[in-house]
Amino acid sequence: MAFLELTGLTKRFGEVTAVEDFDLTVERGEFVSLLGPSGCGKTTTLQMIAGFEQPTAGSITLEGRDLVAVKARNRGIGIVFQSYALFPHMTVAQNVAFGLEMRKVAPAERQRRVEQALALVHLEALAGRYPRAMSGGQRQRVALARALVIEPEILLLDEPLSNLDAKLREEMQLELRGIQQRMGVTTILVTHDQTEAMALSDRVAVMHRGRLVQVADPLQAYENPLTDFVSSFLGKTNRLEGRVLERQSGGCRVAVGETTFEAPPPPDEAAAGGGRVIVSIRPEKVEFRPAGAGLVEGRAAARIFLGDHWLYQVETPLGVLLVIRQNAGPAEVETGGSVGLAWDPAQVRLLPYEAQA
Amino acid sequence: MTRNGPFAFLFSALFVVFMTAPLVVVMGVSLTPEGFLEFPPSGLSLRWFRAILENPDFIDAAWISLYLGIASASLATVLAVPAALAIGRRRFAGRDFLLALFMSPLTVPTIVLGIAFLRFLSQFGLNGTFVGLTLCHAIFITPFILRLVLASVTGLDRTIEKAAESLGASDFTVFRRVTLPMIMPGVVGGWVLAFITSFDELTVTVFIVNPSTTTLPVRLFAHITQTTDPLVASISTVVILFTVGLMFLIERLYGLDRLLVGGEGR
Ligand SMILES: Nc1ncnc2c1ncn2[C@@H]1O[C@H](COP(=O)(O)OP(=O)(O)OP(=O)(O)O)[C@@H](O)[C@H]1O
Ligand SMILES: [Mg+2]
Repeated sequence: MAFLELTGLTKRFGEVTAVEDFDLTVERGEFVSLLGPSGCGKTTTLQMIAGFEQPTAGSITLEGRDLVAVKARNRGIGIVFQSYALFPHMTVAQNVAFGLEMRKVAPAERQRRVEQALALVHLEALAGRYPRAMSGGQRQRVALARALVIEPEILLLDEPLSNLDAKLREEMQLELRGIQQRMGVTTILVTHDQTEAMALSDRVAVMHRGRLVQVADPLQAYENPLTDFVSSFLGKTNRLEGRVLERQSGGCRVAVGETTFEAPPPPDEAAAGGGRVIVSIRPEKVEFRPAGAGLVEGRAAARIFLGDHWLYQVETPLGVLLVIRQNAGPAEVETGGSVGLAWDPAQVRLLPYEAQA
Repeated sequence: MTRNGPFAFLFSALFVVFMTAPLVVVMGVSLTPEGFLEFPPSGLSLRWFRAILENPDFIDAAWISLYLGIASASLATVLAVPAALAIGRRRFAGRDFLLALFMSPLTVPTIVLGIAFLRFLSQFGLNGTFVGLTLCHAIFITPFILRLVLASVTGLDRTIEKAAESLGASDFTVFRRVTLPMIMPGVVGGWVLAFITSFDELTVTVFIVNPSTTTLPVRLFAHITQTTDPLVASISTVVILFTVGLMFLIERLYGLDRLLVGGEGR
């Protein structure tokens, strides 16, 4: 039996459908991210798990027990909000102790567990401070300690790192993952940052307009997206509209404009749409060839240095293609230079056709 | 002063002078040794302050005003806090009507209100009683508290209450441990404002007191309609000093407030 099970979960606000027919199972100790663009229903889903929103339809069960009927305060769920939501009139230690007080934990035991939780997030020294005298990153840690100290069945994180600057966010990501693994707490993270979701989670659940589009481990979702939306949302990609010309053994031939090349077998939906498909080629899968020796020929229009890699924009008959190359010594291609582009046919992805969102 | 130009400075200075001038005059007059109102005083004497002690009916009236202020401000606070929470954060039918109802004492002319209260209290045989006065003052000062509490409720981050709830707090515990401490500045400020409003209310009160419940403003008013000795000035000076002292005390207490409430959870 799955640990947490969401079945057919639906939430409507009057006319607006925020979440529709959402199915997800989460195993004990797993770290799952809900990923999707703004307004796709991530927060609403989280609020239903936490008990702050009542589902319009569907069920939520924890180890087979129905959660929908349980009040938020009895669900034993730890939440960290984007705004931290610390109690401004309490010190750090009092903030963290609050959940234990509610559970009537004896003072000595309470103190011990508060200290332990603060040590976990490296805030022992600030136990007596008030939240207003702390930095964003420190407040975030307090919020995390406060949620973890009650030893929750599930930890819910709603964009917990989005208010932090890039460097601090990266640090907190590593720390969060470390703490989650040490404590083994089942965690659901809501984010619209795909790198964050991929870096932290065992599995990502990609949402689009209230629906779950794909659930998979990060590598799988990135390498084998099920839809055009997932492929464009997770990382960068070269998105082309193409047509399947003919099936071959173990693959097919596709045309994008006048150019044709080989690709893996097309999705089943392609036949119905008269062979129309979306062709997706990740920029890091594209390689440079000497001019005249590529699958397509182009001109390097721009080149951006990004530290560990170069990002090229190459004008080709297919349109402008992005190419990412490792920074291993001098740049391979000068701006303005003619160049051929090639890729392994197995790295091309053909996806069901959708009009550009 | 570099950021504010000379005109801004002049304006502020004039404003302060304008606001405090009457108070300075009253305090000056109270120090006169003469038997009539004069300013500036021809000498300095505490004669009219001693005179207060020889007029026990003024002291009794002051006690009544004090009790009345405390009772009515507290009663109004108990009404206004739940009302502000409901009005400030819920959408329900009749919400605007409820707000207008609570705020109406500000818009009805006080003299009309006084007559209405008089009729109302006579109906229930409460006219001239302390209970009657407390009820009427509470109604009259509720808008002052409601406004301040409403302002702090509107600025409240609801996720903080959700956080408390998810940590296992019941609705009442959330209110007592989280919501109330967060709106405390508004509540304390509103209470003080209401207390002061009640303490110097005259127009409404004149209609509904009797000799045993005469408040200080009513007593003073009665006094100056008969004589113009500097006794009113010395009593006013005491009231001014009392009010300033109260403000100072609240400032200190309010500064300590966070510590007091925060220290509870240990
Ligand atoms: N209380 C509400 N009343 C009406 N509509 C709502 C309410 N809460 C959310 N919605 C709508 O439901 C949809 C999903 O909202 P939700 O907050 O779950 O999005 P989200 O994925 O968390 O977005 P973001 O990344 O911007 O936080 C949105 O269209 C939103 O306008
Ligand atoms: Mg959200």
